[in-house]
Amino acid sequence: MSDAAVTIENLRKTFTLQTGKGLKRTSSEVVAVDDISLSIPSGQSVAFIGPNGAGKSTTIKILTGILRPTAGSATVLGWVPWTDRKKLVRQIGAVFGQRSQLWYHLPPRDTFELLGKIYELPKNDYTKRRDMLIERFGIGTFLDTQVRKLSLGQRMRAEIAASLLHHPRVLFLDEPTIGLDVMARQELRDLIREWNKEEGITVFLTSHDAGDIEYVARRVVVVNHGKVVLDDKVSSMRRQYLGAKVLSVKYHDNPAALDFPGATIVKSSQYAVRLEVDTQVTAIEAVMEHILKAGSVADITIEDPPLEEVIAHIYSQPPQPSTGEEDGE
Amino acid sequence: MRTLVNYLKLAAAYTRLNLDAQLEYRGAFYSQVVAMFINNCIWVWFWVLFFGRFKVLRGWDINDVVTLWCIAASGFGLAHTVCGNALQLAVLIARGQLDVWMLYPRALLPHILLGRMSATAWGDAIFGYIVYLIFVKPDLPHFALFVALTVSIAFLFVGFSIFTGSLTFFLGNSESLAEQWRYAMITFSTYPATLFEGAVKILLYTLIPAVFVSYYPIIALRQLSLSHALIAVAGSAAVVAAGVFVFYYGLRRYESGNLMEMRG
Repeated sequence: MSDAAVTIENLRKTFTLQTGKGLKRTSSEVVAVDDISLSIPSGQSVAFIGPNGAGKSTTIKILTGILRPTAGSATVLGWVPWTDRKKLVRQIGAVFGQRSQLWYHLPPRDTFELLGKIYELPKNDYTKRRDMLIERFGIGTFLDTQVRKLSLGQRMRAEIAASLLHHPRVLFLDEPTIGLDVMARQELRDLIREWNKEEGITVFLTSHDAGDIEYVARRVVVVNHGKVVLDDKVSSMRRQYLGAKVLSVKYHDNPAALDFPGATIVKSSQYAVRLEVDTQVTAIEAVMEHILKAGSVADITIEDPPLEEVIAHIYSQPPQPSTGEEDGE
Repeated sequence: MRTLVNYLKLAAAYTRLNLDAQLEYRGAFYSQVVAMFINNCIWVWFWVLFFGRFKVLRGWDINDVVTLWCIAASGFGLAHTVCGNALQLAVLIARGQLDVWMLYPRALLPHILLGRMSATAWGDAIFGYIVYLIFVKPDLPHFALFVALTVSIAFLFVGFSIFTGSLTFFLGNSESLAEQWRYAMITFSTYPATLFEGAVKILLYTLIPAVFVSYYPIIALRQLSLSHALIAVAGSAAVVAAGVFVFYYGLRRYESGNLMEMRG
């Protein structure tokens, strides 16, 4: 038996879109997910990213049993989501950043109590688990405050804690940090990462935030136009996909002009230069030679380009001819 | 049996939580309850005035009509204090809001229905039981049968709302259709069924099954007739079955709800 938490084979989902006004209506097929195949081992944290309409949310909805695919197959923890929904959802947790499972007018404690009953958790197990989550997520101070009075950061912490109450083995997070401030975002990332490491929970995350991807996930799957366009380790995504480096060089005196193939000057001042280099055009050794030749170097920093740039570059790739349009997530 | 007990416990938990949520705004809640109570009283007062001039209407006297109002109101009230989302089903489907309910390990339809409480339904339920006790002054067997029939009528109203709301799966945004159809059902459920004949009578047995509120339960109470009560229960069961079938059949097309969401 495979230890894959999630397997997807040739998954495809199309929607029928009706357009036109009045009596003149035409139907067309919109491809939201186009032949996606993936395997996610147990305990892995995966960022599933893509621009709006790429097919991310549709894929999550299929994997959580909400939607049926048009073709292909998928299993989550051995269950087929759309036929074994009730069995599967006992083993998974799901948090949608833009939808809440907490009762708006009641304190989180009440929702926790209800969830205990929905999942039929034995009283002792429930109490123990709830108390542990309250401590780990630091929600004790606002556990009895109505959800409508909580900050977005507090709400999301309570939201994720609620989704972990029934000991899920896979956690689906659809843009969990949307709208959060820097501190709240970082706190949430820490918690998710901690949970993934300590409890071995498989994390399937979608986000538009490069920080979420970099900090929480070890693997990144980029979808665009319904297809997987990249599946790699987060750490190697920049290098392997763009092959670009950003170099910041400080000179003791005014340097000579840096002009060689693959180099773009991003910023320059009297003694400093910041340049982006395509190492597939000019190897890094040759780049160093050019820099040293230009003047006496006082300091040098070599960085990978910001993840946002890498992602934007991947997103900007044109669609394959056979793919469809937006699914409108 | 264990499953039934389990769901009854869940229903109790939801009802308690829904009531707590309503009581967060006590003023609004109590005023809605009282307003609905008064609204129903006005209708009954109208019938009292009517029967002050005409003693019998197609074989029905004032007791029958008050019983009808009480049983219809308490049945409707009971239905939507517990299953308030029945009234919202068309909206939930049209806006693709079933997703969150599908993430729980419970039978989808009953779980959705339990998710909300209608505040005004409390006014209906309280009105029905209190006015029946005060105005009709039933003996114990009559009151027991009355309570049993209100449960049957509650199922009928919920089943009917499921049926009309689930048409959204097939027709797209049909909130207004579901609403108008439900209003027609409520209207016909509060007039003596013997007033109608011909095509309307056929309608009352089929598309607007109001006879299982406004005829069989009343005759069952008037004659303390178990057979009429059983016909009322069978009618409710048939409507619930039709509603459940249409809902689950339509659920396969749920992606249309998703499609609508993308326009927003």
